[in-house]
Amino acid sequence: MSKESISDVMLDCYQVSKNFGGLQALNDVNLKVKHNTIHSLIGPNGAGKSTLLNVITGMITPTHGSVVFDDKPMLDLSPHEINQLGLAKVFQTPAIFPEMTLIKNVCIPALASRDGAFKLNMFQKEGMRSIESFAEETLEEVGLKDSVHKEARFLSRGDKRRLELAICLAHRPKMLLLDEPTAGMARHETENTILLLRKIADRGMTMVIVEHDMNVVFALSETISVLAQGTIIAEGTPNEVKGNPKVIEAYLGEEQE
Amino acid sequence: MNYLFLQVLTGLQISALYMLIALGLTLIFGTLGVVNFAHGALFMLGAYFAVVISDAFGFSVALVSVPILLFIVGIILERGLIRFFYERSHTDQILVTFGLAIVIGEVLKTIYGANNLPFAKPSWGSGIVKLHEYLPFLEGFVAYPKWRLILVVVSFSTVAALFLLLQFTRFGLIVRAGMRDSQMLAFLGVNITRRFTIVFGIGAVIAAIAGLFGGPITQVEPELGMKLLIPSFLVVVVGGMGSLPGAVLASLLFGMALSFTAKYAEIQQIIIYLLAVVILLVRPRGLMGKKGLME
Amino acid sequence: MEYVVSILKKFPLTVFALVILTMPFWFPWIGGYGGLATKIMIWALFALGFDILLGFTGYLSFGHAIFFGVSAYATGLMFKHFSDEIIPAMIVAVIVGTLASVIIGYLTLKKSGIYFSILTLAFGEMLHSSALSTFGGFTGGENGLTLPDMIPSMLGIEMRGEVMFYMTAAVLILGYYIARRISDSPFGLILKAIKSNQERLEYTGIDVQKYKLGAFVISAIYASVAGSLMVVYEPYVGTEYLRWSTSGNLVLMSVMGGVGTLIGPIIGAAFMLYFENVLSVPLGEEWLLVLGLIFMAIVIFLPGGFTDGFKLIYKKLIGKKPDGEEK
Repeated sequence: MSKESISDVMLDCYQVSKNFGGLQALNDVNLKVKHNTIHSLIGPNGAGKSTLLNVITGMITPTHGSVVFDDKPMLDLSPHEINQLGLAKVFQTPAIFPEMTLIKNVCIPALASRDGAFKLNMFQKEGMRSIESFAEETLEEVGLKDSVHKEARFLSRGDKRRLELAICLAHRPKMLLLDEPTAGMARHETENTILLLRKIADRGMTMVIVEHDMNVVFALSETISVLAQGTIIAEGTPNEVKGNPKVIEAYLGEEQE
Repeated sequence: MNYLFLQVLTGLQISALYMLIALGLTLIFGTLGVVNFAHGALFMLGAYFAVVISDAFGFSVALVSVPILLFIVGIILERGLIRFFYERSHTDQILVTFGLAIVIGEVLKTIYGANNLPFAKPSWGSGIVKLHEYLPFLEGFVAYPKWRLILVVVSFSTVAALFLLLQFTRFGLIVRAGMRDSQMLAFLGVNITRRFTIVFGIGAVIAAIAGLFGGPITQVEPELGMKLLIPSFLVVVVGGMGSLPGAVLASLLFGMALSFTAKYAEIQQIIIYLLAVVILLVRPRGLMGKKGLME
Repeated sequence: MEYVVSILKKFPLTVFALVILTMPFWFPWIGGYGGLATKIMIWALFALGFDILLGFTGYLSFGHAIFFGVSAYATGLMFKHFSDEIIPAMIVAVIVGTLASVIIGYLTLKKSGIYFSILTLAFGEMLHSSALSTFGGFTGGENGLTLPDMIPSMLGIEMRGEVMFYMTAAVLILGYYIARRISDSPFGLILKAIKSNQERLEYTGIDVQKYKLGAFVISAIYASVAGSLMVVYEPYVGTEYLRWSTSGNLVLMSVMGGVGTLIGPIIGAAFMLYFENVLSVPLGEEWLLVLGLIFMAIVIFLPGGFTDGFKLIYKKLIGKKPDGEEK
């Protein structure tokens, strides 16, 4: 990578390695994600994509290396601290609050954004109105306006993903991490998701997407990093990556197995 | 030397009973993922069966029939109740087994009353053993109740048998794999449910052995189950949930701690709890707990 | 019928207060008596606080007798060594109970629910056995703390009979009001989210640990007030106040009544004490066996407890289907 001003980079993973027992899941990974871009991570199964995502969100501590987000070091922070810094994660299987109504699902991150990680506001009712209307707006944005008072567990799988996206957006994050946002979706749902993510990105959101569906990757990404066997083997615009012989080899190598 | 030896022996004897109960608990938790609050009640049931049967037909009949009876009870409980709770929350599992423990205790109380049932040891197990005759390093006259030595031997043999079963049989291989990933095994077409039933039965058999050999040295009364369940739970947690070697290690530790503080009743009453708090603060996963489980 | 329910929904607190305050008039009709009503109030308060922990966060404590018992002992010791005025005694007792909950909560809430249930049970037994032997000098050991010929009073008014009942009822109504406010607050919303999906909550920027501790301490404050009131009601501290069976009874009544509803555990407490003291006469010694069977049946078939049962019956009566998609 050539010289970039530091402020241009939002997320900087520097020489991240992770060992599970004897297995080298990540080996000296350097990843820089720039402001206001959609950056995709692709690679064959077992390449270390999920591990890298888990290192970034604080679920896994790397064996060595550092992760800097928005000029702040992130290692040793707990998941909620990382989230409070402005990094939200959309899980592979939708993580929502199933027994609660949609509006309450979204009020929780809105409260976390307004009040911080902990506030003993047991009696306070004022201000709830504005939180609720903000939650409603967020639900409208992802297209769930009609079911705000439905319990989340009754939503379809695709709608659960939209709800989770709303939960993440309601926290007003600086960056979204998405773990296979279209996994298990039908064709038209995938297209809707692409449009929705594009819309959110256009408002100035930085995103890191792990995805298998190349249509999604190529439709959305400005930059693509290719992981194979725990290292980044190629990085560039979609067109640069497409013709890269190393990438073809990595994928073909998997198919021959 | 004599003093030290006797303290260690007493420690072994105390840990023997905890070990048996904790072993069943941790086996069932590790395999089935169920925290069984009724396990103490199963042990108590074993002790009651043992008293009643050995009074009527002699201890040797009880020795054979009580484990079989408890195995059947275990199978019925797993098939009739516990298996419906695999898919429900841990809280529900705890609640239903807690309810079961109350019901078993109350049934026993209704039939046999709230008082202690005297448990007569068989003639071959009563009396004392003159240890100094066998162990030349002991000075003078050193005797120990025979039954307590038998309990230690039985307990360690049971542990050894369980380890052999899990390590060297196909059944054990499947159970150990099931402890790691039951979904994968079901996916591979291994009938894990039938094995789960048997595991629960084995847990109950170990409780029966504990009741048979522990009954004569504890009080056989309706509160017995809960009385031994609580320290046994601590053994399981301190050893590391779902770890069999951990349970053995932790029960030895507790037994020794109780034996060596015997002179100071005020400390002895709370020593295992203090130990548990300290150990869990230093090693939250327990002595031999696996990463990931329970976190 | 629908009219009655609509009133219940509109003015829950008023209806609740009316039912409680008129208890001395209607309770004797169904075989109750004055002292039992007071005892029900005390246990209801205990169970109400417990619901903020179990019902909202889903964390099942088997050691809540700790706060009830520790506070009862503190109250008893204050009566014995300080004065028979209840205000200083209750304040000291609640402070002691709260401090105990901060320490125990900090040590036990780090891990999952199973671990928490077992460790709270163990802490309870540790305190129970230390009250029996280690601190036997203060606590009266096996005999409990006896306070012969003591009549606690508040500002000179003796706390017994109807006075005691109305004082306890007032505390319960206040407790119910506070619990409802907590339930409707942002704090309450986040507690309920812990039960629903703790991992999502952590990844939503919430310090779950602190909220759990908050719920634990609040529920322990309720337990401490209840424990202290118990000694005011009956100036004697039994060793069973600290025993696992007290925690166990609390769990039984909460689950039977229906956790997470606030009113459920109160109904459960009333049911259990009524069962123990009134229905046990025809049932005899086996009342606890019957109760255990009822409890198991509820856990198996009706996890929402009595309150869920009422809802189902009501929906049947007015001809609607049970809870569908729409709320």
